Amino acid sequence: MKDNGIKKDIKRFDVLRIIEHWIIAATFMVLVATGLSQKFYIFEASQWLVIKLGGIDAVRLIHRISGLFLTFLTLQHIVVASYGILFKRWRPVMIINKKDFTDSIDNMKYYLGLTDRPACCDRYNYKQKFEYWGILTGVLLMIMTGFILWFPMPVTGFLSGEIIPAAKALHTNEALLIFLVIAIWHIYNSIFSPDVFPLDTGILTGYVSRERMLREHPVELARMEGLRSEDICGQHDSER
Amino acid sequence: MRDIKFLLKKSAGRDTIVRRYSSRYRRDSSEMQTLLKNLLNAWIAKSCQLSAITNAVISMKTLIIKSLLTSLCQREERFPSIKRGLRGVFLLLPLFFVLLVNSGIAKETGLSEESQGCLGCHGKKGITASFENNEFVEAYVDAEKFKASIHNSLTCSDCHIDFSADKHPERRFRSKEQYTIQLSRVCRRCHTQEQIKAKSIHARLFSEEEEGRSHPCTNCHGSHSIIRVGKRMFKNEEQYCLKCHGNGVEMEFKNGEILSLGIDISLLNDSVHNKLSCSDCHFGFSSEEHPQRNFRSRREYTLASSENCRRCHFDKYTKTLESIHFSVLSQGNLRAPVCIDCHGSHSISHFGKERISIARRCQRCHSEVYNVYTKSVHGNALINESNQDVPICIDCHRVHDIQNPLTLEYHERIPEMCGNCHADKAIMGKYGLSTDVVKTYLTDFHGVTLSFYKMQRETLTKPARPIAVCTDCHGTHNITSTRGTSAAILKANMVKRCRQCHKDATKNFPDAWLSHYEPSLKKAQLVFVINRAYDILMPVMVIGLLLQIILHIWRYAINR
Repeated sequence: MKDNGIKKDIKRFDVLRIIEHWIIAATFMVLVATGLSQKFYIFEASQWLVIKLGGIDAVRLIHRISGLFLTFLTLQHIVVASYGILFKRWRPVMIINKKDFTDSIDNMKYYLGLTDRPACCDRYNYKQKFEYWGILTGVLLMIMTGFILWFPMPVTGFLSGEIIPAAKALHTNEALLIFLVIAIWHIYNSIFSPDVFPLDTGILTGYVSRERMLREHPVELARMEGLRSEDICGQHDSER
Repeated sequence: MRDIKFLLKKSAGRDTIVRRYSSRYRRDSSEMQTLLKNLLNAWIAKSCQLSAITNAVISMKTLIIKSLLTSLCQREERFPSIKRGLRGVFLLLPLFFVLLVNSGIAKETGLSEESQGCLGCHGKKGITASFENNEFVEAYVDAEKFKASIHNSLTCSDCHIDFSADKHPERRFRSKEQYTIQLSRVCRRCHTQEQIKAKSIHARLFSEEEEGRSHPCTNCHGSHSIIRVGKRMFKNEEQYCLKCHGNGVEMEFKNGEILSLGIDISLLNDSVHNKLSCSDCHFGFSSEEHPQRNFRSRREYTLASSENCRRCHFDKYTKTLESIHFSVLSQGNLRAPVCIDCHGSHSISHFGKERISIARRCQRCHSEVYNVYTKSVHGNALINESNQDVPICIDCHRVHDIQNPLTLEYHERIPEMCGNCHADKAIMGKYGLSTDVVKTYLTDFHGVTLSFYKMQRETLTKPARPIAVCTDCHGTHNITSTRGTSAAILKANMVKRCRQCHKDATKNFPDAWLSHYEPSLKKAQLVFVINRAYDILMPVMVIGLLLQIILHIWRYAINR
């Protein structure tokens, strides 16, 4: 890439988005620690953590306050994103469209060696979109069930009592699912993936290299540089 | 000699023989009379022991032989028909025999000559003396026992003062009692009143004697078999103590209460302690010591007596120190039970196989609780069906270290207690009960919180609020079966229980608890479906993501 002459970092994330990411990440970690130690209460590590945090009541309080905070973060995210899209003409980059499905199929073909170039993706590729929506709906579900579990009396005032154990089942299972997705998929893609190893610094600095943009988000790069995406797609691979 | 033999056979008194013998042969020298006496003593004792003869003869040494030879010479004049040689052999044979015997053997007997003489007749079983009221007493003296007695160095006449080698007076007594009283006076010739009084055990006897009730020494100490008083010397301490305590002895306390100290020996023999002797428990008391103790009340005496148990049952004793009963007692409530209140004292026995007997011990004080218990599903089965599986008081409250059941610590142990049976498939299987009840409790909100609270108690000192355990919904002593109760009533009752902690529980709220059921297609379908859906979704998701990662790495490796 160096001999290409174009070695320019491209701005990818706003400072506010970086701050949002890390606040959510921290909240998430607190929730995971306090939540999973309740779910897996028989493990010694859970018991150790609960005792260190001052007992099960303290852990539940921390979990609920963190949950409340995550609820606020999620709502502000939705509000900000909706506001931006509706009134500030932000491009709805996270909206899943038909291309994401074809991209996923194309990429699979590429992985399996059926085609010789990966899918040509926009600002967020299909993996990131699916992850985003998966987590977002998961978190909304967590918020909903979390509040049911927090306030069982009012809920059973107008709903069947069985909603409580059902909410618990959802909350606990979904929590583990989200945790696994983040722990496996998100951590792989931002740390262990050979494309970014040892660390994707994009979410720290807000900038990524043009090479990465060309490789991973060629459509967006083309749009930024006023080129046609068809021209830029596959360039990375053909250069190799 | 035939005369002597004949007289011996007839068990006549020694004095009679000597008298007749000496008169017949006109032996009037005092020296010869003594010699004869001694020889006869030895002869008589031969029936008991050969060494007795040796003793008698050797002590006389050559004198006796000389005298005998003289005697034989003179006798020959009277009975010329008896050949000298033969006569000599006849009488001297045993003498020679005994002279051959080592004098060391002679020392063994220890019995005085006089005693040996008396034993000639009184050493035979069956000899009796009768009284006017037709009572009789055995005049037999066991030589071995006498020899083992502390008085073995005394001669018979030392105590039987009216009797001697020469005197055997005929005496008349109205009854055996009169006889023994008379006899016991002899003891005081050596053992002074002051000496006897010095032993506290005798104090009461003296005071009673003044009132006219006599206590002959021999009643307790025995007569010829008297041995040194001492704990270990008494082979049968029980008998010793029961001489008084077998009858109605009483003890008066400062507050006027009276306790019978009489012991029913049959109860004692049936007890588990039948191998113990009295002083094993009644420490400080023995045939030597009988301290006078003063208790304010009967209860105080009972409390003090229970302290004796710990000398053997120390493990149980230390457990009781942790019990509520002990703490109540130490706070000054003397009604709190101690060992013997539950176990009894002399009649102490194993609690039988019938477990209800244990519950009934508790009932004595806790009758209200017992009455409630009898109406519960457990108590009812115990009493009406003799069911031995159901819990009785001690299964939950423990035996010796009975805890205060109103503490949080106790409350937190309840699922464990119930679980002892309700998680046991072998027991529950008999009654068609599910063992899931404990597991479902422990894995739900209450159970998890409870297990954390228990853990926290060890490390954090923060007081925790009470968490609902089995008894908070099911009741404690009044547990009833839910079988045959309609769901609507159960739910209505349940709301009341919930509201004890969750003040604003709605009528739907009890359904939040799955009533110990594991979610299934029949019960809590929604929960079941959610759990199964995630059981599928989660592995699919994880495997899918991992596959993607592997493919990605694989492609990357190929492209390099």
